Amino acid sequence: MVLSKALESQVEDFISRLKRRQIVGSYEVAKETAIILRQVVSTTRWSDASVLVHVITDLGRRLVAAQPKELAVGNIVRRVLKIIREVVRGELETDDIMNSGTSEDSDGFSQDSEDDADSDREFKSILAQDTEDTDHTPRPEIPQRPKLQTESSMFNLLVDKNSEDIDYSAKSYNMKPLIIQEINEEIIADLETVYKGIADQALEHIHANEVIMTIGYSRTVKDFLTKAAAKRSFQVIVAETSPTLQGQAMAASLAEVGIETTVITDSAIHAVMSRVNKVVLGAHAVLANGGLVAVTGSQMVAAAAKHHTTPVLVCTALYKLSPLFPYDVDLFNVCVTPEHVLSFNEGTLIDKVNVLNPYYDFVAPELVNLFVHNLGSAPPSYVYRLINDNYDLEDTTL
Amino acid sequence: MATAELNNKSASDSMDPKLFDAAACYHTFLEDQELSTPVATFKVFTEFIKCSQAPTVTEFLQTLTQVGDTIQAASMYDAKEWKLPTSTRKRNPHKATIATLAGIHLFNQFVRRNTGDFTELEELKANLLARSTLILQKATSARDRIAVTGSQFVHDNAVILVHSYSRTVMSVLQYAANVENKRFKVYVTEGRPTSDGLTAVSELQASGIPCAAVLDSAVGFILDKVDMVFVGAEGVVENGGIINQIGTYQIALVAKALGKPIYAIAESYKFVRLYPLNQYDLPSITPDIVTFSNRRKSSSNALEQADESQSNDLALSNPSVDYTPPQYLTLLLTDLGVLTPSGVSDELIKLYL
Repeated sequence: MVLSKALESQVEDFISRLKRRQIVGSYEVAKETAIILRQVVSTTRWSDASVLVHVITDLGRRLVAAQPKELAVGNIVRRVLKIIREVVRGELETDDIMNSGTSEDSDGFSQDSEDDADSDREFKSILAQDTEDTDHTPRPEIPQRPKLQTESSMFNLLVDKNSEDIDYSAKSYNMKPLIIQEINEEIIADLETVYKGIADQALEHIHANEVIMTIGYSRTVKDFLTKAAAKRSFQVIVAETSPTLQGQAMAASLAEVGIETTVITDSAIHAVMSRVNKVVLGAHAVLANGGLVAVTGSQMVAAAAKHHTTPVLVCTALYKLSPLFPYDVDLFNVCVTPEHVLSFNEGTLIDKVNVLNPYYDFVAPELVNLFVHNLGSAPPSYVYRLINDNYDLEDTTL
Repeated sequence: MATAELNNKSASDSMDPKLFDAAACYHTFLEDQELSTPVATFKVFTEFIKCSQAPTVTEFLQTLTQVGDTIQAASMYDAKEWKLPTSTRKRNPHKATIATLAGIHLFNQFVRRNTGDFTELEELKANLLARSTLILQKATSARDRIAVTGSQFVHDNAVILVHSYSRTVMSVLQYAANVENKRFKVYVTEGRPTSDGLTAVSELQASGIPCAAVLDSAVGFILDKVDMVFVGAEGVVENGGIINQIGTYQIALVAKALGKPIYAIAESYKFVRLYPLNQYDLPSITPDIVTFSNRRKSSSNALEQADESQSNDLALSNPSVDYTPPQYLTLLLTDLGVLTPSGVSDELIKLYL
């Protein structure tokens, strides 16, 4: 149940850095969460998987509560939980494969997959494209496609079993290395390859002599455009993204790789939009309805693009996909220090006005045309499928 | 008690499905206000299995189809009677054949899934009965699960517009108010012609939720003050659109125009394989007003004698449900979790393919 002392202090440290916003950005947060969870799996004493699921869920709840705006934390926790469940299911399947005659294929994804690989492998291929060949999991081969029970399925209306039927308490001794390996391969190694996965699709979307608009600094978008620039020449317009001026940093790094770059003020976005062929946005998080939480100003860019019927592309890694819904538009936003909007030196004025400095924007799914993720691309209406493939419904509320 | 009576009666009857009064049984189950139509339909089938004396599997399946037809015919009749004021109704009818259809489809699929495994009729019947009990248990918990999912969308100080009376919507609101202690206000539309909305108002007031009734024609007027719209559903069709009490479509249109989110709240057993192309493409009796077939008295006469029968006449010649296309719905809140309208066909395919 309890974490070891060293681990506990590491968790505490992470939590306080999350709270102080000393660690910001989905990538950093996701990576650190994954590493901590891997350590929990390896150092915590657990005899059966239900204990592990419980420990991870508990810790996940603490981490999410520390900084609810960093949705990547919760996403990684859910991914780890899903891996544990997959492993348990895979194990159980091989144990009683002899006496279980029925195999119900309740997983929608596995149905439309052509290859007859078992769905654990499929799952792996969804999450980690590059690890497929290097996969030497010591798992016994499963002759039959394992039963994947999702309570999320209407199918279960007619099945008189519940997903709780899976016996998480079954003892199994080689589960631990397996889970750790899966976390290493599917989550941590995957995090390394996301940028490449997205950038590789750049040539499909960016054509010669196009004018692209973007806002904010996003490594995903930067790599995406850089990759395209290696083959094609195009022009990029970057909104400066006041007050953080991330857009200026973005423009500088794009200019460095030889892309023709123009910086505009945020107020010029609408005016310039008529000349733009395509908008490419980065995302902080993508919510289950296809809406996204992105750097402040994104909503303005997306709305202007809608007005001019300019296609909006969002580059996002799969770990940014959250199974949560925007219950309230402001729920995932955060207002940071107004220092950069109105300096505290302006003492006389600061008493008289309210200064708001929201860090993020919520962009409605109607304003987005396509999500480019590390394994392909999908329209906003398809996001729910990606979420069903990546997370277990049981874990939606940690 | 009524069920037991039915059992005794039917047990002595022969296998003839006509002697098992499916329609009466259906109506008995509908007396239970808490039971939704597809579940009631499912229960009628299980009652029938209990007393069916068909000698072969094939005949058994045939009689099941007949029972389905009987129930559907009964629900067609009901849909007409539902529109009359409560005092003049003979029994507790239900407004939509669509929900019945969902129940019939679901049961047929359930039988189809299970027949393959058994050659002996008695074994099959025993198996169906055992499984359907479990399924019904699960179905009854659906509304509670929706309440938990749906109440996440209710935030403090929200103003919610609700269309007429829906048990699922009520359970969401009550859960949000009583369990999660959220404070919000509710406008309920009157819900002509039955004025079920007034029932909703008194129920909400009883549980201490501030609420007010608005006229169906005042929806556009009030919607500026509203943060979100909740509607129930009689049926959720394949493209993610819903079929619900008359007036839902226009509320959805206004909500879309004013940019307010509209959430449809429905149990997943109300999903039905149907793809309506327009308002008139529904499996129910075409209302007289669509075809102008009803020759009523001249309008001057109607003005003079605006009596009760006149308003009944008006209710009867009008439709009881309408179809709301998916592009006007923000999300569907179901016991399967929150779905985008495009997620519905996925679920249906999983079940019926």
